[in-house]
Amino acid sequence: MQKYEKLEKIGEGTYGTVFKAKNRETHEIVALKRVRLDDDDEGVPSSALREICLLKELKHKNIVRLHDVLHSERKLTLVFEYCDQDLKKYFDTCNGEIDPDTVKSFMYQLLRGLDFCHSNNVLHRDLKPQNLLINKNGELKLADFGLARAFGIPVRFYSAEVVTLWYRPPDVLFGAKMYSTSIDMWSAGCIFAELANAGRPLFPGLTQLPNYRMFPMYHVTTTWQQVVPKLNSKGRDLLQCLLVCCPADRMSADEALQHSYFNDLPPSARHL
Amino acid sequence: MEQLVCMESTSQKVNRAFEDPVLIKDNRVLQNLLLTEDKYVPPACYFNCVQTDIQPYMRKMVAEWMAEVCAEQNMEEEVFPLSMNYLDRFLCVQNIHRTRLQCLGAACMFLASKLKESYHVSAEQLVIYTDRSISITDLREMESLILHVLKWDLSAVTPYDFLVQIVSRLPLDAAHVATVKKHAQTFMALCATDCKFMLYPPSMVAAGCIGAAIRGLLGNSFDYSLIERLHKVTGIEVDCLRACQELVEQMVKTSLSSLAQESQPETPTKTHPMKEQSTTPTDVRDINLMAVDIENSFIIA
Repeated sequence: MQKYEKLEKIGEGTYGTVFKAKNRETHEIVALKRVRLDDDDEGVPSSALREICLLKELKHKNIVRLHDVLHSERKLTLVFEYCDQDLKKYFDTCNGEIDPDTVKSFMYQLLRGLDFCHSNNVLHRDLKPQNLLINKNGELKLADFGLARAFGIPVRFYSAEVVTLWYRPPDVLFGAKMYSTSIDMWSAGCIFAELANAGRPLFPGLTQLPNYRMFPMYHVTTTWQQVVPKLNSKGRDLLQCLLVCCPADRMSADEALQHSYFNDLPPSARHL
Repeated sequence: MEQLVCMESTSQKVNRAFEDPVLIKDNRVLQNLLLTEDKYVPPACYFNCVQTDIQPYMRKMVAEWMAEVCAEQNMEEEVFPLSMNYLDRFLCVQNIHRTRLQCLGAACMFLASKLKESYHVSAEQLVIYTDRSISITDLREMESLILHVLKWDLSAVTPYDFLVQIVSRLPLDAAHVATVKKHAQTFMALCATDCKFMLYPPSMVAAGCIGAAIRGLLGNSFDYSLIERLHKVTGIEVDCLRACQELVEQMVKTSLSSLAQESQPETPTKTHPMKEQSTTPTDVRDINLMAVDIENSFIIA
């Protein structure tokens, strides 16, 4: 790897190691995702393949930019724009306090990125804080499209394939075949609540069926105000529209962006 | 929780996603597909210019083999047309000898399956389908070469992407929608094997196939101008739409008559007990099956 100088390891993605690196010529800081190819009969992993060809199409300020792909016989390196941290790490550093404007700005950017995906016929299918990248100047970008899929004709359904459990909608947990944009919207709702509670997941420890338990952590009488005490009433209304059990009634990203919760979004955040 | 309905069925049918109203009603989705499709249309007819050895009949042969493999493996419907798109775009750039065409076809299916299927077809399985005329290493090397030649641009738009988008925008009787889609899908698979349609934009092929399916099913008995509607939805000129639809109808007619000749001694119902389970209408046997469907209703002008 001559073109880039590796600086440090950032983490392990779903299918490869991620490094922070510097372009030797331009001194630009990038993130390198390295996938080893040796000894695998199945060639290029499908997750890498999907991520590359979908991200080449999805150019948007709220979606992580793929700069380049370096392909050799033994390894595959994806060159991404560098972001300072992911939302999960951000939660760890915020000491249980995120101001309401930041929550609103992050949520708006998440929905805008998602709306762009959906309007381009692409489902992300694995939204979670670890897959949302945050920049120092408050930009949020969707990343890790290894499970994403362009939606052609309705596909055969395998629930095990999609979405980390805590962010998986109940209809999918219960084996429904509605397999579409509504999955991403439920995940977005979970992340919204987590943002509003400064990093406390909404449904942690959710387990797979048949030991499915979702509500022991919330008593039947729990009100939304108790679930997200710091969120204002408009925010709570938006949250309820996203966390609708019936997937057909769940709000779309496009509609969510028009929600009155965002009426007082600072113009600076709208242009992030 | 009371809003949840269990959609699982006890039958053996494959569980399929519903059509997503968010994606269908959003005009941006269709517009974005129309904007993107040109990028993925093969730029030229490569016979006698790029290719020094490959002839049109060879493309047809490899295409039919690929269609059979896709059907036999019960792959998603989109895999076959998508792999044909890779094959044609590759052949527009890189000259290869006929002996490598099957390897190319296999690697194209390998890639398309990885992109579209939850569990993709294995390299070993594809090698078996070539009767072990290629090795896994050959397949992997070809995969790398295709990725290099196509610059990783694999999320190509195919006619299948337009099927639901177009059909949902036509004032069709709900009772006919499923059959129209099924017929149109079969026609699309046929188009992918026929090099006449190679340079057509996928939206036009889709409109042609849907138009032909509707006319085949309903004759001219609907109370609106079909071509006009298709024009409104896709923005394609009426003359082009008409020409494409006629070409599709001609192709269907030809393949029906050749199939009728081949399958005369057979009784279709007995030879194809698997019909209900098959989800890929690209199998030539399915097209044969369709002949029964279509002959009852398909009035070829």
